[in-house]
Amino acid sequence: MEKEITIALAGNPNSGKTTVFNNLTGARQHVGNYPGVTVEKKTGERKYKGYKINIVDLPGTYSLTAYSLDEVIARNFIINEKPDVVVDIIDSSNLERNLYLATQLMELEVPLVFAFNMIDITKGSGKRIDINLLSELMGTPIVETIGHKGKGMNELMDAVVEVAEKKMKKKKVVVRYGEEIENEIAKIEKIISENKAIAKKFSIRWLAVKLLEQDKDVMNTVEELIDSNSKYSEIEKIVSKSIAHIKSILRDSPETVIADARYGFINGALQESYEELQAGKITVSDKIDRVMTNRILGLPIFAVLMWLMFQFVFKVGAYPMDWIDMGFGKLGDLVSNALPEGLLQSFIVDGLIGGVGGVLIFTPNIILLFICIAVLEDSGYMARAAFVMDRLMHKIGLHGKSFIPMLIGFGCTVPAYMAARTIENRRDRLVTMHVNTFMSCGARLPVYILLAAAFFPKYAGNVIFSIYVIGIIVAVLMAKLLRSTRFKGEPSPFVMELPPYRIPTFKGIVIHMWERTWLYLKKAGTIILGISILMWILFTFPMIGDNYSQDYGAEIESMQESFESSEISQEELDKNITVIEGKMAKEEIDYTVASRVGHFIEPVFKPLGFDWRMAVASISGIAAKEVVVSTMGTLYSITEADEESQSLRDTLADEYSPLVGFSFMLFVLLMLPCMAAMAIFRREAGTKEMWFQIGYTLLLAWIVSFAVYQIGRLFI
Amino acid sequence: MIAFTDKRVLTVADALPGKKYVISHIDGGYGLRSHLSSMGLVPNENLSVLNQSGGGPVTILIKGVRIAVGRGMARKIIIRKV
Repeated sequence: MEKEITIALAGNPNSGKTTVFNNLTGARQHVGNYPGVTVEKKTGERKYKGYKINIVDLPGTYSLTAYSLDEVIARNFIINEKPDVVVDIIDSSNLERNLYLATQLMELEVPLVFAFNMIDITKGSGKRIDINLLSELMGTPIVETIGHKGKGMNELMDAVVEVAEKKMKKKKVVVRYGEEIENEIAKIEKIISENKAIAKKFSIRWLAVKLLEQDKDVMNTVEELIDSNSKYSEIEKIVSKSIAHIKSILRDSPETVIADARYGFINGALQESYEELQAGKITVSDKIDRVMTNRILGLPIFAVLMWLMFQFVFKVGAYPMDWIDMGFGKLGDLVSNALPEGLLQSFIVDGLIGGVGGVLIFTPNIILLFICIAVLEDSGYMARAAFVMDRLMHKIGLHGKSFIPMLIGFGCTVPAYMAARTIENRRDRLVTMHVNTFMSCGARLPVYILLAAAFFPKYAGNVIFSIYVIGIIVAVLMAKLLRSTRFKGEPSPFVMELPPYRIPTFKGIVIHMWERTWLYLKKAGTIILGISILMWILFTFPMIGDNYSQDYGAEIESMQESFESSEISQEELDKNITVIEGKMAKEEIDYTVASRVGHFIEPVFKPLGFDWRMAVASISGIAAKEVVVSTMGTLYSITEADEESQSLRDTLADEYSPLVGFSFMLFVLLMLPCMAAMAIFRREAGTKEMWFQIGYTLLLAWIVSFAVYQIGRLFI
Repeated sequence: MIAFTDKRVLTVADALPGKKYVISHIDGGYGLRSHLSSMGLVPNENLSVLNQSGGGPVTILIKGVRIAVGRGMARKIIIRKV
């Protein structure tokens, strides 16, 4: 039987960790969540020389303190799950800072391998580096890798297997913090090692250092693990005495001294093994940054890039959309011809093909949008965009980092809520999340495309762009409002690394795009299919049977008699029959559950210009925004009075004014994103905040649509 | 401590692009200090300012890494000239 090895990939953000993960696992990836939190947990596997290697991609972190949720998760995974080997992916063009995390991993005393990634850049710039010596100095095997070229992966796996099998013996290296601190560490070590439960689970030295650093999370863990309270307060007393002692002697807090000593250790190791060229050289990245983050040019460049992105998504996406549209149309015709008219035909054509096809057709747009976002992320521009936007974001009470969830929100609100996690301050995070929904997500796009094309065929692109802009404006206003009411206070400080610009790799973009697109398709295949079927049922049952208000059958018969006795012409006959069938269809639909519910809620939506069908469609959007389109597809294809199969677009344009269409788009834009997003919102922010989000977005959507429709009516 | 230094502290927010500085200390709590440490911002470290965007964030170069620091944060990083 093959042996299993579990490895965890740790590393700084921008160290190329994801690229290495993609290389190691290829397409065999699985995205889940860490227990209890919505932090994405990516796992994958690789078969290597008779081993099955499970690979877990930890969140990218700068250290293992308890500063952010990401750091706590990475740390707890290593401590609790005890992976066989931890691989630290290190950006070797920036060793000093990247090795800071490495020293903390060394302290955890876990089996370690360092991957010196992007080694080509380091060597290409003429820096000399003695990997063997550095490996000795740090007591850890080092493998050279080039993530974006897929080089060094087998060597990395060799090292992993050797470390896991304990064949590779390196002498243990300990980072020393100087006599004063070491004395205190020894005291703390002594008292905590008396407790077996703790000594078994943790490296005692690491724990002692963390206690000196006043790490809240570790302090709580120790308190939980210790059996008696008196024992814990004893530890607490010793620790605070030690901290006071260090402060009085070194005139600095322990965590600063410890951080200093870690960098000291790193510098010492690098001094002997690494020859650096003159520091502070102007790089290509700096040159690009002079333009991209220029105080005058930065914002316009950003705006142009965003505009180009939308043009690309819609213009290029239009072609494959037509093909898919035609394909589903043909499929519908085919089924209509093959099956006899009746319930089954209606179910397949109106319910399944009409519903799911209406959603799948937007896959090209979604794919293109996700490609754009992946390019922005992988090239390093995303961080610049946050930089450029920080001043602006600050003015509206948000945070430079708020910008990233906002941008992702254009793709899908679910990962956007998750991305808000990088904002450390809770108030900042909540404001960002509460306004994030106004960044119009990919699922809403189908609704706009349908309605804009129906009501504003010549200006569809501009109308859609205006909806996005309105969303942004609403987000700005709401952020300001929330900041001055529920979430008072200044946004917390902004620090963010600006990674060097990189040319994104094809593989990386495809993998990122596919991960997100797959979620969309899965949703179309499950939730949306289910809701389409539900909607079809609601719009079909109960069936009217013989309960028509008039005897239409008799009417048609008498028409035909009149025709046969030449009282009316063939044309008149057809016209009259069409009218009668229209009346019948209307009664049939009025008899159904959906219509009854729709009519019941219609008064609420009437002031916005919506009839009962639009009311039903908008409510169905709570399940998922794409459902609005599929509901409309099902709804209008069933209720369509005449036999000519008009496209949904034309039907809508016939029945409503452009003003109603616009008001409807605004409603869809502003109301809460969808059930899935709300579930995530609850996990990220709590039940109370979720209800606040639902309540205020619905209210806001109603007010804005009401205002637009009522004011618009005065002019049109 | 000498009294006047409190009033005339130099922070990253006031630093001039292209000039070199050394971090004196970080005016913040435990969380902020350890986070900045992990990003390379520790006392006695050299830093240079790449870009003062005027009211917006400041880009600094420290330990070979470019880091964007918001205005508010920049005022908490106390520096001195080399």
